Amino acid sequence: MANSDVAALRTAGSDGDQILQVEHATHRFGDVVALDDVSITARRGEFLTLLGESGSGKTTLLRIVAGLERPTRIARIAIDGEDVSAIPASRRNCTTVFQHYALFPHMSVGQNVEYGLRVRGIDRDQRRKRAEDALTLVRLLDKYGRRVHQLSGGERQRVALARALITEPAILLLDEPLGALDEKLRVDMQVELLDLHEKLGLTFIYVTHSQEEALTMSDRIILMRRGRIVQEGPPTDLFDRPASRFVADFMGVENLLEGTIESVQNGTASVRIGGHVISGAWSGAGPAEKGAAACVAVRAERVRLAPHGVAIDEPGVNTLPCTSGATIYKGKYLDQTLDTDIGPVKARIWDRGVDVNDLEALWWRESECAITSNENGAGAGSGDDA
Amino acid sequence: MAATLTANDDVLRRLLPRLPAGVWSLSGFSVVWFGGIVIPLLAIILVSFFQGRGIRINIDPTFLQYERFFSYGGGDLLARSVRIAATITFIELMIAFPFALWLAKGCKNNMVRLLTFTALTVPFFLSPAARVIVWRSVFGINGVVNQALLGIGAVDEPVTWLIFSEFAVHFGFLGAFFPTMVWPIFLSISLIDNDFLEASNDLGANRFRTLVHVIFPLALPGVVAGIVFTFIPMLGDTVVAQHMGGNNVLMLSAQVQSLIGVSNFLVAAALAAVVLGIMLAFQVLLWAALKPVGGLNEVFANLRR
Repeated sequence: MANSDVAALRTAGSDGDQILQVEHATHRFGDVVALDDVSITARRGEFLTLLGESGSGKTTLLRIVAGLERPTRIARIAIDGEDVSAIPASRRNCTTVFQHYALFPHMSVGQNVEYGLRVRGIDRDQRRKRAEDALTLVRLLDKYGRRVHQLSGGERQRVALARALITEPAILLLDEPLGALDEKLRVDMQVELLDLHEKLGLTFIYVTHSQEEALTMSDRIILMRRGRIVQEGPPTDLFDRPASRFVADFMGVENLLEGTIESVQNGTASVRIGGHVISGAWSGAGPAEKGAAACVAVRAERVRLAPHGVAIDEPGVNTLPCTSGATIYKGKYLDQTLDTDIGPVKARIWDRGVDVNDLEALWWRESECAITSNENGAGAGSGDDA
Repeated sequence: MAATLTANDDVLRRLLPRLPAGVWSLSGFSVVWFGGIVIPLLAIILVSFFQGRGIRINIDPTFLQYERFFSYGGGDLLARSVRIAATITFIELMIAFPFALWLAKGCKNNMVRLLTFTALTVPFFLSPAARVIVWRSVFGINGVVNQALLGIGAVDEPVTWLIFSEFAVHFGFLGAFFPTMVWPIFLSISLIDNDFLEASNDLGANRFRTLVHVIFPLALPGVVAGIVFTFIPMLGDTVVAQHMGGNNVLMLSAQVQSLIGVSNFLVAAALAAVVLGIMLAFQVLLWAALKPVGGLNEVFANLRR
């Protein structure tokens, strides 16, 4: 994450470099609370991702920043230090890339890109020049005169980007911009967006439901659920140190084993599950409490196999006796289910030499699993005092 | 068409060349259109060049009927008809567009919307003559308005220009042709995705600029349809001019009808041909007006998004 280093350097300890401050935003649609007292900030130049499933409030939050939604209640919203609560979307220094692009069908590519300048009364020649610059940036200069419906999905996406960038906003808001693209194109566009972010040094606020996208692109991730923030931090935090069972599950941890905390020592918790005690670093939001329910989160690729008669001679490992279960062929690897007396555990096997029918145990390093609260609903994590 | 031929399917298959259903329905439509619409129109135009001799008709082509028409003040009649129809169409557009915009995008209350829809269809429940004639009791010499004005002493004697005047004709048309303008515009504005309005707003356009640059161009198909379905039927309307204008405000179609009433078919035909000509000219004008935005095809292509 070279980006996060750059961003960290830029912001080194100064509060004045917060380009966005949202304080205590609440939004209701009728009886439904879409956003429940959420506060976020973004540093200048940061790539901030709002992650969550549909209905988590991430898009509502983005729309509130854009000014397209007027929050039911908000203490303060400031862009670049200026309070914008009373300023309409048209005069806020941020632009949005819409999920379905929202390119004007009656205009050419060039006219679409120029729109932001046209409504600001900038003359034709300058408009054209800047539109060409913006289209060059997204490698679509040759499409200036095309109609929108003649473009492919990926090209529309890039036109939408050029259109949003042309007014040189302080913040670029992206609402699931890659959602409508196919898998391969999506990966290409991820790289392109990252390049653009680096080149422009602009603050990106990116909404997605894909943890993989969030991990690849962000300097910082804010994971939301049911209108609240569940956990926020750099990708490695969410990936390796989930604050709750929900986060671990959302971030794709395959094995979530439920137990009771038996002891806590120097940030390491030991959990009793059936007849076994499993240890690992505590990553829950609050302090670990003895006797409380906890969840051991282990990724399938961290689970190793011990064939019969081979001793595990490493210190600090968790071991479970097991027998082989179902195997799913995935091409590059095998997804192997292993049956233990505390339930099935999934392992990812890259080495085809392993004989899964001759196993004694499975094991993983204590440092390679996280122990977190068993919380599966909203309400765990930071920014939550309600 | 193909579906109706199932009875003797096999025989028909052998008899008829194998063409796709589309071709059959198209040719079927063409036959109906040609037989039902084009031939009568051509007949009218043809007849307008004939000459009457007693009760017989002389088929030597002549412009006599047109000369008669224009020498008896037909030019004024023509100008007045087009002027009134154009004025009303323009006023309707000015009122209907904001109204349709409100109905399509502004009105969030479904009950209000439903009631508005119903209100828009109410005029069609009544016969055209009945809904126009009501105004006589409002605007007549002894009508409600005059009674009121006399009552409060605003005037000493009844105002006469309220009925059988151009004012009255304008008024009559305004109510009758409001729905035909509102409907198509409402539909085309409804089709505009809110995303486009938000994108425009987000990119820095205020409401007025969004209206000019996004809403209006995307609503253009509806505006065109509204103008066509308001202007042309108004030119063909016989009721309003007759009942609201009386003999003071003669208009083309009402005149055609009264000429038929006195069995003057030849001048009536000439007059009808003139009306046809105006309608044709109007279409050409509309086509030319849409040229700068890419022509009619392009305007309607924007519906596909």
